Order: sequence, then C-alpha cells, then structure tokens
Amino acid sequence: MKAYIAKKLLALPLILIGVSLLVFVAIRALPGDPARLMAGPEATQEAVDNMTRRLGLDRSLPEQYASFAYGAVRGDLGISIKSKLPVVDEIAERLPFTLGLAITAYLLAIGIGVPAGMIAAIYRHGWPDQIVMILAIAGASIANFWLALMAMNTFSVQLGWLPLLGASSWRSFILPSITLAVLPTAVIARMTRSSMIEVMSQDYIRTAYAKGVAPQTIYWSHALRNALIPIITIVGLNFGSLVGGAVVTESVFNWPGIGRFLVDAVRYRDYPVIQGVTLVAVTGVVVMNLLAELLIAVLNPKIRFD
Amino acid sequence: MAMFLKNRRFVLASAVAGALMFPIVAGAATLNVMQTEAPRSMDPGDQTATYTAALLDPMYEGLTKRDPDLSLKPALATEWSSDAAGLVWTFKLRPGVKFHDGTPFDADAVVKNFTRHLDTKRGLAASGRLRTFLEGVTAVDPMTVQFKLKTQYPAFLALLATGPCLMVSPAAETAGTIGSKAVGTGPYKLAEYKSGEYVLQTKNTEWWGGAPKGEDEIKWTWTPEPSVMNMALQTGDADVVNPFPAAFAQQIKANPDMTLSATDGSAVFWVSLNTKMKPLDDVRVRQALNYATDREGIVKAFMQGFATPANSPLAPVTPGYDKSLAPYSYDVEKAKQLLKEAGYPEGFSMSTIVQEQESRIGELLQAMWAKAGVKLEVRKMEGGVWSKAAFLDPAGKEKDTIGSSIASWSSGVNGADLQFRPLYHSKSASPAGANLGFFSDPKLDELIDKAASTLDEKARNAIYVDAQKLVNEQAPHVLLFTKQDLFATRAGVKGTWVIPGGLIIVKDARK
Repeated sequence: MKAYIAKKLLALPLILIGVSLLVFVAIRALPGDPARLMAGPEATQEAVDNMTRRLGLDRSLPEQYASFAYGAVRGDLGISIKSKLPVVDEIAERLPFTLGLAITAYLLAIGIGVPAGMIAAIYRHGWPDQIVMILAIAGASIANFWLALMAMNTFSVQLGWLPLLGASSWRSFILPSITLAVLPTAVIARMTRSSMIEVMSQDYIRTAYAKGVAPQTIYWSHALRNALIPIITIVGLNFGSLVGGAVVTESVFNWPGIGRFLVDAVRYRDYPVIQGVTLVAVTGVVVMNLLAELLIAVLNPKIRFD
Repeated sequence: MAMFLKNRRFVLASAVAGALMFPIVAGAATLNVMQTEAPRSMDPGDQTATYTAALLDPMYEGLTKRDPDLSLKPALATEWSSDAAGLVWTFKLRPGVKFHDGTPFDADAVVKNFTRHLDTKRGLAASGRLRTFLEGVTAVDPMTVQFKLKTQYPAFLALLATGPCLMVSPAAETAGTIGSKAVGTGPYKLAEYKSGEYVLQTKNTEWWGGAPKGEDEIKWTWTPEPSVMNMALQTGDADVVNPFPAAFAQQIKANPDMTLSATDGSAVFWVSLNTKMKPLDDVRVRQALNYATDREGIVKAFMQGFATPANSPLAPVTPGYDKSLAPYSYDVEKAKQLLKEAGYPEGFSMSTIVQEQESRIGELLQAMWAKAGVKLEVRKMEGGVWSKAAFLDPAGKEKDTIGSSIASWSSGVNGADLQFRPLYHSKSASPAGANLGFFSDPKLDELIDKAASTLDEKARNAIYVDAQKLVNEQAPHVLLFTKQDLFATRAGVKGTWVIPGGLIIVKDARK
C-alpha cells in the first residue's frame, strides 16, 4: 500500500504539469487580451504594446511557460496582473475560507445525506422513500446560483436572520455552506439508498435477521459498513464538482475564497492568478481522491492496491 | 476554522437567537459603498476603470479638481497660466501639502508623477492619453512647474483632475509599492486593502483642507450580481450602491428608505455604419436608417427609461453640446422614400456586430428597420471577439461583411475633442482609432482640428456646434441614446454625487 501511495504521489507532478499546460494554452486561446483590458478601450496601440511588454506577454509562449513553471517549482506563482500582489500570498489568504466552506458543506452533506438515504432504503417504496427521493432529485437539479439568491432574499433580506454577504462571523457560514451542500447531499442520499438496498438483499443480512439481531444493529453496523464503500467513492470523486460549486456560491455571497478569486481573474484575464488557482484546486482534487481510496482500503481489508 | 466546526450543531438554534439578540448594525461611523467590480490598482495612473477611479478618489488629488457643479477648481495647484498658443502651462503649487507617508508635495513630486507616464518601460495603464500631447514637465522652482505640450489640447485642465494626473507619493512610486498600497494627498488614506474582500479608508487628519467632511471610515466592497447589489442596499450592508442596476430602479424609487439618483451620464450609444461598404456609402441610406430608428422605444425597452434619446454625437453634459438639435424624427415613410431615392425601393440586407450585454439593442433595431425594408442580421459576440471584429480595417470588414457595429463612447465632461477625434476624424479610422465605419470628411477633420487649437471656450464651442450638425447630416452613426448614471443610497445618506460617466464621489458623504 505504501508503494501505491508513493506511486500516486509521484504521478501528482505529472498531472500538475499536464493541467498547467492545458490551462496555460486555454486561457491564452480565449479572446480578450489582459493588456488591452488593463489599458482600457480608449487606449492607443502604443499604450497597449507598452503594457504587453510590462506584463511579459510579448515573450514567446514556451518562454512564458518556462518562467511560470520555474517560478511555480520554487513556490512563486508570479504577481497578479490586477491586484499587483504575489499570487501565492493571495491564495494563502483565501484558501482557508474555501476549505472552511467546503468542509462544512461536506460534513452537512454526509450528516444529512447518509441517514436520509438509509431511511429511504429501509422504507423502500414507502412515503419516507418517496419524500427523500423527490428532495434528492430537486436538490440535484436545482441551480446553485438561483438557490443562493433565494436563500439570501429569504433569510437575510426578508427575515433579517443572517448576514447577507462576506465572511465576518461564523453566522456568515450558514447560508453559503447550506447552499453548497445541497448538491452533494442529494448525490450522497441517492448513492446511500441504492447501495443500502443492494447490501440489504445479501445473504449475511438475512442470516443476521434469522439470528434475531435487532434491526437497528443490522442497519447501522452490518449493512452501512459495507454500503459505505461506494458512498466514499462518490464523496471522493465529487470533490471536484464541489470546487465547481464553490466558484458559483462564493461569487454570489461575496465569499473571500479562491472560487470568487478565480471568477474575477477570468473576467480580467489575470493569467498568473488563473494558473495558480487551478494548480491549487487540482492538487486538492487529486489528494481528496487519494484519501478516498485509502479510506476504502481501511474499511474493506479485502481491497488491495498493486 | 475550528470554532465554526465546533459550533455546527448550534447553528440553527443560534441563528434564531442570534438574530433576535444582535440585529445587524453596521458601525455608524463607516460609510459602506458597493460597486460592480474590484479595484484594478491602488495606483490611479495604472488603471482606466471608472469604478476604480471612484474608489481611489478619496485618497488622491490632482492639480485641478471637479466640483459638484462639474466646474474645474484649483486643488494641488493654486493658480495657473498659459502662453498665447496654449502650449506652455505654468502652475503654482499649493504649499504645506504632504503625502500620507510624510513625503512633501512639491515641484519634484509633480515632475516625477508625469515623467513616469512618459517612460515607455514603465508601461502604466493610463499613460496613453497623456503621451499623445505631453512633451515634458519641468520644475521652475520648488513650488512652480511648467508643462510643455506637443499640440494644443483643450481637455488639458480637465485631464489634470483624472487618473493619470492624480499625484502619487514619489517615495512609494520609487519603492514600487504604489500599485498595491495607495499613498496620495487626499482627505482619506488607505487603512486596509484586502483584495478578496474590501478596501478600507480612514480620515487623513493632516489633510491640507482641514478636517475631512465625510464619515470616519469608508469601506468599499463589490459584486457583479445586480440582484445582490439590490439586496445589499435593502439590508443596509451597503449605504451606497453604484451603479445601481436599472432593473431594480423602480422598486427603489417607490421605497422611502432609499433614494435613487438618475443624472445625465456620458456614455453615448450608437451604431457605427461602414461607410466604405455598399449601400451604406450613400448618405441617403444612412439617413434612412436614422429615420427608421425609434430612439424613445429603445430607451424604454433597453434602458427602462433611464437614458436620453440622442440628438447629437455629444452627451448632454459635454461642453459644446447643443440641445436644440433635432435631426431625425421616427419616420418610417421618410426612411422608405430616402431608400427609394438611393435606388433601394425594396430595401436591402446588412449585418451588425454587438456585444452580448447590448444584444437587445440589435434585436430592437432589427424589428424597427424591418418596417423600412432593411433586413438586419445581428451577430452577438463575447467582448474580446467583438473588439477584434470592430477594430478590423476596411478590407477585413468587407471580407467578414460587417456592415455596422453597435457600441458606446464616453468622454463626458472632459470635452468634445475626446468624442469627435477618436470617433469621426479620418485619421482615427480603425484599426488606428475608434472610427469603426471609416467615415472621412475633410470638412469635419478641419472643424475638429480648428476647435482643438481654439483657446477661447465660447469660440471653440461654436465650432463644435457646426461639427455636431455636420455629423448629424452625414450620419456616419445612427445615434441612439445617452445613458443616465444611476446610483442608490440609503435615505439618510447626504453629500454623494457623481461625475458623468459613473464616477461616484463619496468623500463628503454623511449617513
């Protein structure tokens, strides 16, 4: 298993090089020139050229990538075109906010999704099942953006219970994390339900019933433990889409995290920021996937890595 | 973070209890201002964005300044004079002024502020306009500076009150920190710049003008979401919202807790017609399109009424604007007749390119012009793609069959030259400038150049009236409307005003 982890970690730099190259090329292929955006629509060509030189965008693409990569290896992601601050510092300032939001959302999603899915499985085809599934479908299909606006209007504007914007106190966490948790909660609930239903039809569960084990014990320790594996897989794999959701949620709530940072950066074609944030996000996704795999191995000793 | 997680289970109960015990109160001494975008720099000379300029305004000053009545007044200069040709300008500087970092404000500081724009290696975002006419700046004595211009520039004094000419501390400029740490001479100084959250400004107690009149602190935040801006004003998270989204304006107007301000802006919207392409090379066809355009209808449908139908290439706030002009009524019959005279009794087909956020204008024109028999193909484009297509040369536009471009231009109080020259002078034909339809009329060029070298304001404005008439008659553009500047405040906020174009001034505001 140690060899497996080492192999995965060794692959990380390759993934990062691949992704950074892809992002590097993709953002430069986008229409819109950062120098023109900085200099404004009324700028003369001369002013745009001077700005291009200052930003180092007059160099050849391989040269630009090499200097970016060389800096990144030494922990220097360049200077933000817009804020004129080091990208590393900018990310360091925002990352805790995004992690805090993501972790809260995930805990919410697991804390609600797993029990809801179990209830649905236990009362399969009964009304609790139907309610959970309707909510899950709604949760999975609702637009994050719309939900955020509705929540803000209801709880902040109309009722005045919660702060509208920013991250000034723990109460600021409530609306964004709930909004962000809706989609993973729905996915986890559905996954838990189908996984539980499958496990509940296994022979050993029937045996447990026959032995007279209390149903509560069967659900929570016999069935759930085995049903957890696909659930954890889904949780691990879904981290990427959680990051995607954070981009939208953070933008709407003025959350000072890296998701909103990325949106702003794309708007201004702030290349160093887009590159830096993507690298950090990709590292996070890879690490989360790896953690999920390890957790599965711990839960099911039959799984071996080679 | 741990605190938040530990508290997770108390969330619901506390949310209710907390709301009852601690209603959200913003500090009474802080004015909260929300705009649509984050500042692009802390250096006024390294940005060209209106909302960044508004945010920097409390911290920086120029040699001249705009007053709420839009007139130009002395600021860091106390008096000035020019030679007869208007090419050499001498300014006396205000004594006893210090930058926020303690650096004294003197002639050397002024010279350094302008030479940085003349240095091509520095590559500052706002240098372009200055570089077109400024030859150099020298210190005559410690409190006197002299500017030498390459050509006469009627907007010179107005420009001195704007971004590139606002004075930054020479020490901060040398240290290379001015882009992220503002140091000016203004009534407020930078307290905190959290690029992901807010900019906080506090009173500069050593300001030369005495005690600043505004609140103790000004806090700037931003969001691109119109509905979030509206909600922030409702909850009081924002005391001032600029620009206020037109879609919610009626709602604010009806609410006694809030005040909506709608004033003449500076952005003139138009359709630039490709005068090098058939049949738009015929002035009768261009006039026909002008007659076929229902400007009132566009203002209502696209701007919710918050715009003024255009009767001139200039905005109403621009010096020299003539409000008595009334060149084109909405008259479909007249349009048809002109098309018939030009040899197109059955109408013709043409295309227009438009950015996504303005695409509704294209659709409205499509419906209006169809009544005169003109089939308009509307090509919507993302901003970057649009500007590439709009600035093509005549051959490129011919190849892509681009018959017209929908856009706007904003020069406002800074003078008519900044509207006429880039949009209508033959030398500004794209890609060199924003004369996107390659309009060329020697008579208009002559008027524009003559006005630029006329120092007397009355005489200059008279020339601009002729130029407006000529543009209206030759119709290189279908002029549409001038946008109004909308901002909204909580009802108690007093002393906020806006420089046409959306640059909000809040340094004297109280709430």
